[in-house]
Amino acid sequence: MISLQSVSKLYNEGRPSETTALSGIDLEIARDALTVFKGPSGSGKTTLLSIIACMARPTSGRIYVDGRMTSGLPESFLAKERRRTFGFVFQRFNLIRGLTVMENVLLPTAPLGGNPQADIDRAAARLDTLGLGPKANVAVEHLSGGEAQRAAIARALINDPPVLIADEPTANLDTELALRFLDIVAGLRAEGRAVIMTSHDARIWGSELVDKVVSMRDGRLDEGTS
Amino acid sequence: MIQRTTIVFGLIAAGCAALALEALHARIMLRSEQARMAGSAELVRRAGLTDLALFTEARFARHPAMADLHTAFQDNPMSFEHFPSGTFAPRPASGFGRGALYFGAEEAVQ
Amino acid sequence: MTGWLRRQRALADYTLAALARRRVKNAGLLLIYALVVFIVASATLFSSAIRKEAEIVLAEAPELIIQDLVMGRHAMISGELVEELVGIRGVSGVKGRLWGYFYDRVNGANYTLMVPLDETLVPARGEAIFGEALPRTRGLNWDKAPLFLSRFPGDLFRLNPAGRLESDSALVSADLILIGEEDFRSFFELPEGVYTDIAVSIRNSREIGTIVEKAGRLLPHARLITRDEISRTYQKLFSWREGIMVVLAGACVLAFAVFAAEKASGLSAEETREIGILKAIGWDTGDVIAMKLWEGGLISIGAFLLGTVLAYLHVFAFDAALFASVLKGWSVIYPDFALTPMIDGLQLSALFFLTVLPYTAATIVPIWRAATADPDQVMR
Repeated sequence: MISLQSVSKLYNEGRPSETTALSGIDLEIARDALTVFKGPSGSGKTTLLSIIACMARPTSGRIYVDGRMTSGLPESFLAKERRRTFGFVFQRFNLIRGLTVMENVLLPTAPLGGNPQADIDRAAARLDTLGLGPKANVAVEHLSGGEAQRAAIARALINDPPVLIADEPTANLDTELALRFLDIVAGLRAEGRAVIMTSHDARIWGSELVDKVVSMRDGRLDEGTS
Repeated sequence: MIQRTTIVFGLIAAGCAALALEALHARIMLRSEQARMAGSAELVRRAGLTDLALFTEARFARHPAMADLHTAFQDNPMSFEHFPSGTFAPRPASGFGRGALYFGAEEAVQ
Repeated sequence: MTGWLRRQRALADYTLAALARRRVKNAGLLLIYALVVFIVASATLFSSAIRKEAEIVLAEAPELIIQDLVMGRHAMISGELVEELVGIRGVSGVKGRLWGYFYDRVNGANYTLMVPLDETLVPARGEAIFGEALPRTRGLNWDKAPLFLSRFPGDLFRLNPAGRLESDSALVSADLILIGEEDFRSFFELPEGVYTDIAVSIRNSREIGTIVEKAGRLLPHARLITRDEISRTYQKLFSWREGIMVVLAGACVLAFAVFAAEKASGLSAEETREIGILKAIGWDTGDVIAMKLWEGGLISIGAFLLGTVLAYLHVFAFDAALFASVLKGWSVIYPDFALTPMIDGLQLSALFFLTVLPYTAATIVPIWRAATADPDQVMR
């Protein structure tokens, strides 16, 4: 459902500090699939994720999501695409400090102008599924690493996006929590979502749940299959 | 849990209501106040008063209209005899009363 | 439409939650801003009210006052000039005014002794009508208490009360002692035929200019003061008293603006990151800006309402107690008058726009770049 054609990304274009983060990426990502990008740091994994999630624009090349072209869209349309199609879980979770779990989870609903009570109910249900029900009114600074990640996942899913993207989700977790994370991902796939991740973690690539592993090096793809 | 916006918007509405009440109060008081001021105006007419009973630090005490032309702390014969306000207030354009500094058109040098 | 309203409400909710993170600091900000508005609004309300009163009350003063000058200073004017002035066409009445100051050593106050122009107001020999402040500051506790004025050590000039002027007219009459001509001349040891100045009544106000010219030619050494000039003087007097306060408050506003700009301009790394996060999770530029507008708008509107409502109470219920001396001037004997409550819509609107717009705009400027950039850049 997501198609990348000859996508490149340059930072600081034209200046002495110009860096090529990605070059000539051609990629197809299927619906209902768990795709994992692996590669050493600096290989461009996070940049690629950002571009797929409409958070950054490619310098050249095209991206299609469900047949719609997202590269070259102006900012307001990109924002719409972001909130409609993607849920993003950051490596450092990026929860807004000072706000409670519930407030954080509800953040992506603000621009949609929907029924506030319905949003709250949905958020509460999702938090329950993730085992965070009792912590709904706790400020996010007081959460453990695993709890924070689940809160971040709940936030990413609040608008029911078809694609969940996670950047190094298990980097800061112990084995037990890492496996628990995979359980959550399995559940999401069962719900019909695409999941895209980057990972250093061999436990992730090796898992049976993974449909496709894509290797990257120096901004390019190595050939890789599961 | 009450939404924060509910509380804040409520407070703002209360503030607007208070302001509206004050405006209404001023409106209501207008009639009686006008009667009071009419009474004062009547006294002014009958006694032949020209000034308010307010005092300033100036030499002329109660009647600013009757200042002398030359006084200490005055920047200019035409500025207010009132320190420091005389420095800041602009000089009256037409002259502070006709008379000594009044020139008729016929006296202007052609 | 509902969707848009709900959206705005959700954005405002987020703003309040974000502000609540630093509750004390933001509350302090609001209070200080409200204080500045309070000062400016108090000065504005007071000054408008007193200018209005002065304008209405002094509209009945004599149209023209003629004063004699000797060596550049005010001198007594001869009564013979009255005859000359009566002849000017358009003049409906000419009368010599008798008024003068008396410094009371007992309480350090200045009184104005005056012979009223209207004969029906003139009291009998040995009697006087007192203004509101006299009994108050001289302790004349009972209705029939006489007033004793001492012009020099060993002197006692007695005046029996013929009545009191109401405190309703205190603004013009608080320090007045109205007496008859004989008492006046004997008190100040003035000879017959001289007056303090001459009051001229003019039937048609449009003719004042011409009559002033004619009078000026008749009495080239005299000083002519029209009622309009007096009125304008008072308008100016209160305007620049108000102005002094506003300038001082303006200094506060400036300091405040510097503080606000400093707080906003060095957009902290954390705030930038947060905007990036909001954009990453689906807020577009418009949402971020709207959220910031809510922040600036709520604080400034709150400050405006708080400051203005309290200013009205301060000025009209408490007689501007905090700033009275700056706004009214000071003296030993002060008229105890209440002001007409009034709100000048134009000035208040101006204050509203000045309070709300710059501050709200100031909150937007620093976040503009972060709000419009791609989230990826902002979060790096």
